[in-house]
Amino acid sequence: MKLKRYLIPALVLLIGVGFVIVGISDGEAGSVLRKAVAICMECIGIGEFH
Amino acid sequence: MKDFILSLFGLEEAALSDPVVVAGVILSFVLIAACIAVFITLLVKKRYQITRWGNKTWQRTKLITQTTWFVLTNSFMVGWLKGTIYQGKLKYICVPGMNCYSCPGAWGSCPIGALQAVLDDSDPSKSWFDPKTSTFVQYPKYWIAFYVIGFLMIVGAVCGRFICGLLCPFGWIQDLLYKIPVKKLKLPRDEKRINAMKHPGRVRFFLGVDKYLRYAKYAFLLIMVIFLPLIVRANPWFCKYVCPSGMLIGGIPLMSMNESLASAAGSLTLLKCCILVSIVVLSMFLYRPFCRYICPLGAIYSFFNPISLYRYGIDDSKCNRCKGCHACANACPMGVDPVKTPNSLECIRCGTCSATCPQKAIRPGFKVKTAEGVALRTKKNK
Repeated sequence: MKLKRYLIPALVLLIGVGFVIVGISDGEAGSVLRKAVAICMECIGIGEFH
Repeated sequence: MKDFILSLFGLEEAALSDPVVVAGVILSFVLIAACIAVFITLLVKKRYQITRWGNKTWQRTKLITQTTWFVLTNSFMVGWLKGTIYQGKLKYICVPGMNCYSCPGAWGSCPIGALQAVLDDSDPSKSWFDPKTSTFVQYPKYWIAFYVIGFLMIVGAVCGRFICGLLCPFGWIQDLLYKIPVKKLKLPRDEKRINAMKHPGRVRFFLGVDKYLRYAKYAFLLIMVIFLPLIVRANPWFCKYVCPSGMLIGGIPLMSMNESLASAAGSLTLLKCCILVSIVVLSMFLYRPFCRYICPLGAIYSFFNPISLYRYGIDDSKCNRCKGCHACANACPMGVDPVKTPNSLECIRCGTCSATCPQKAIRPGFKVKTAEGVALRTKKNK
């Protein structure tokens, strides 16, 4: 029971770490940074509806 | 030291000649130190061991935690003072809650905004001009956002929707709005109380509507956050047309401090203001309407609730449900029955049930057994 309780989250955690490494090596973190360091006008609702 | 500060704050050396920037940097350090001190104090005083405390003390601890987390993650004071946003390298990292990256004080990125940003990114080498429609067809750079999904899996596997309950800035704002003393829309959950009401049929009807409306957040996640940014492209759809959090902690402060941004306000601003006002008004009457029906981040974390390391366990040897006690179910602001489904997808791990239980039978945490050696039930009660 104890093993089952911790095994699934531990596996998900490991897969998550793997995904993050794959994402960083693929340059996805750069995409996140590029979007996040400029004021995202549409995200904060500035502009026209189109 | 100077280089470290400049790199941490994402500032140019020339910026330090501005006294407002210097004041912002100092204030940021003071706020960060104060927030860390608050968290250490709460930990030392064992205030996170919910079953040790009554509901009143726990609600105070929860509010202090939410406020401190909001201040800590939005303590880039240069942004608040100058009407700009943080442009340093910490924005590579996502914060766990709904915290717009265009908020003037935000140090990190919003995971939902980041997810859309990655899916919306185009590969210029594979994009082409379509002469039939006279449009430039953008080819997605990434079909799966591994970086953000991986981050959400890590957070979800450790704590599930605990983030919604204690570490989400927009959740905190809704909690504060719900404290305004007006008549609340809270429906009873146990049959005995429903039957004792004047119109039990109507109560059951609204409970059914509430149950099905909760699936809407999964639709928002699939359509507005994943499908539209990936296929139709050109926009972070959820951020642009729905998210009230960006408008409240990003749009309003920036427009109030920056004339050029204020002058760019248009019909989209009106739409977002209407959505924000609706959520704000509804939050005074109904507990966390955005988290219940709209939030795509809550929808993602909800899948991790039944398997996360941090879980709610029921000590069946102590529970008084057989004697007709429904204290936890009646106290739950999200309308969950913790004894039936201790790790329901709708549970935001706010701890209210655990703090309210007169028998202290609901045990949140990482353990599988109580100190007395009794196994905790984390699955649905058959």
